Amino acid sequence: MSNFNELAESVISGNFGRVKEITQEMINKGVEPLQIINDGLIAGMNVVGVRFKAEDMFVPEVMMSAKAMAGGMELVKPLIAETEMPSVGTVVLGTVKGDLHDIGKSLVAMILESGGFKVINLGTDIAPEGFIKAIREHKPQIVGMSALLTTTMLNMKATIELLKEEGLRDQVKVIIGGAPVSQSFAEEIGADGYGSDAMVAKDLCIKLVGKAS
Amino acid sequence: MRFDFLSEQEVEQVHQATLAILKQIGIHTTSPRFKSLLLNSGCLEQGDRIVFPAEVVEKALSTAPKEFKVYGRDDSRVLEFGKSKAYTQTCVGTPSVMDLDSGEKRDVQLKDLEDYVRLADALEFIDVVSPIFPRDVPQEVIVSAETVAMLRNTTKPLRICAESSHEMKYIVEILAAVVGGKEVLMDRPLAYIEVSPLSPLEYGFDPAEALMDIVEAGLPLGVIPCPMMGSTGPMTLIGCVAQHNAEILAGVVASQLLKPGSPVIMSPRVTFMDMRSGVGLWAMPEMGMAAAASIQLARYYGIPSTATGYSGTSKLADAQSGYEHLYNALMPALIGTDVLAAAGSLDNVLTSCFAMLVMDNELSSVVQRTIKGTEVSEEKLAVDVIAEVIETHENFLAHKHTRKYLRAGELWNPPLSDRQTFEKWAVKGEKIEEKARLKAKELLASHQVEPLSAEVDAELKQILQRAQEHAQHGGGVIQKT
Repeated sequence: MSNFNELAESVISGNFGRVKEITQEMINKGVEPLQIINDGLIAGMNVVGVRFKAEDMFVPEVMMSAKAMAGGMELVKPLIAETEMPSVGTVVLGTVKGDLHDIGKSLVAMILESGGFKVINLGTDIAPEGFIKAIREHKPQIVGMSALLTTTMLNMKATIELLKEEGLRDQVKVIIGGAPVSQSFAEEIGADGYGSDAMVAKDLCIKLVGKAS
Repeated sequence: MRFDFLSEQEVEQVHQATLAILKQIGIHTTSPRFKSLLLNSGCLEQGDRIVFPAEVVEKALSTAPKEFKVYGRDDSRVLEFGKSKAYTQTCVGTPSVMDLDSGEKRDVQLKDLEDYVRLADALEFIDVVSPIFPRDVPQEVIVSAETVAMLRNTTKPLRICAESSHEMKYIVEILAAVVGGKEVLMDRPLAYIEVSPLSPLEYGFDPAEALMDIVEAGLPLGVIPCPMMGSTGPMTLIGCVAQHNAEILAGVVASQLLKPGSPVIMSPRVTFMDMRSGVGLWAMPEMGMAAAASIQLARYYGIPSTATGYSGTSKLADAQSGYEHLYNALMPALIGTDVLAAAGSLDNVLTSCFAMLVMDNELSSVVQRTIKGTEVSEEKLAVDVIAEVIETHENFLAHKHTRKYLRAGELWNPPLSDRQTFEKWAVKGEKIEEKARLKAKELLASHQVEPLSAEVDAELKQILQRAQEHAQHGGGVIQKT
């Protein structure tokens, strides 16, 4: 049991090397992979989530914790079937066409991952067609779009329009974020939600996939 | 009057760090045109990056003009860049506005843009006008439409932001139509146009192409990337200033390689991330301190500059906005900058507010008064006057020296602040933000702007129409990639 605590603590302190070490030791000892994930890696990340929400931890520290957790996950993943992987849901994320701003969207990706979501981060300058392709491929429950420029935020609408044309709109929830967008803009373009910051985005995703936080 | 934020040795250190960043790390661009400009003029390819030898940078710095002017369509409205006058500019691109009647935040409409520009025209200490972002105009010609709306509602000089190059042709046509031709426009630019490359050190296709179009059109160029300490730049203030200085200088150098002697402006905007939420902040004191450091570098190079002065995180025109805006404006103003941006903004430059613009007009007045300093002369030291008053057992009120300098403007006259006795104030008991809001309403009800001639107005209409037709025929999808 103490090993799980140490693993969780190493996730909390963002000690990438130590997380990998302990995870590997556990695997070698034959510890159940799902238990490593739930009682060690995710347990640690849950504490991080609580502390971040309470403003006891800062973004760069959470990022290190998320990286450390991912390091452990990578070792465990090959040992279990994809379907058994604990996942709250799948989210496809991207910054819209014409916009190269990355940091906010990547922060959301990191927070979602640390909250148990599987995140497909498409990157920046993603055309509506790029979102469609990713939706067909990854079958996410949620698509998230980001924009920083007032001149590119309208491409969110273009993406939603194409989703409708392609008959995919009912299959995914659409959320948006970025400095110039707002709740009223989300409503205007027919998105399902707006996240004013990364934590709000995570709570929104949890709500949209219908699972309690 | 001269204030320093950094010592001379520190300025030299940051400059050397800047040269090292440009020489060792360089920039990346996706514009082949921008890339060949740099590579054909002494910059070097290093993997997928372009690096700048120190000689190329130093040479470009020596050809950038130290002074130039930007004009309003009214001849008396001239911006003298390079004289560190701390002109005040309205905030660009806010998608939201505080409704003047309801006080609620809502999307900007064209009518708001027109009103806001007209209010800026009416306010004495607002010197440069930039557009807020209206939703109800065709988005594929947004900057052209904004420019026309501004020209119709102010005679003051304009500052335009070009996020892509596809509208540049029409923007130049619009400005030229008002001033009387493209040749005249080069001599009497009605606007300076800024481009915002991405931090860290990334000249994406759109800003890179727009930069070249602006220089080729002969208009003053502003280079305005916007890093955030700890996320798109180093966590340390001075590290972020150094990286930022390098990414700005890359644009300055490009402008001088393209056309030596072309007017260029350094527009540093070091912001930071709220590490508790990831939200971008335009707050004090870091914003003002970083601006002071960056502006001192521009001063060191002798290149005109702008800074975001009138910004903060408050969501209302209130006491917090008042102190945030004054702090962030005064810091770079004391070092010596040409323009302080974001007047009238709230909420990290995402919302514009009529009442706040009236309050910033007041702050602009006091900042501009402050940097004028005070003349030290025998007459002003007034030793004789002191002696006379003491000898005659009079007081200073009765002395002609008092009347003379009072009338000459020795005392600042607040355009807005309340200075009444408590009893007189208590009759209404009015807060400054309410007074500002009422003043905005009053000015909007009464202020009229010298209209454009009917012919010019008709020409602008035609240009807008052509721009739109061009866009609809595939010439300009919303964003060129």
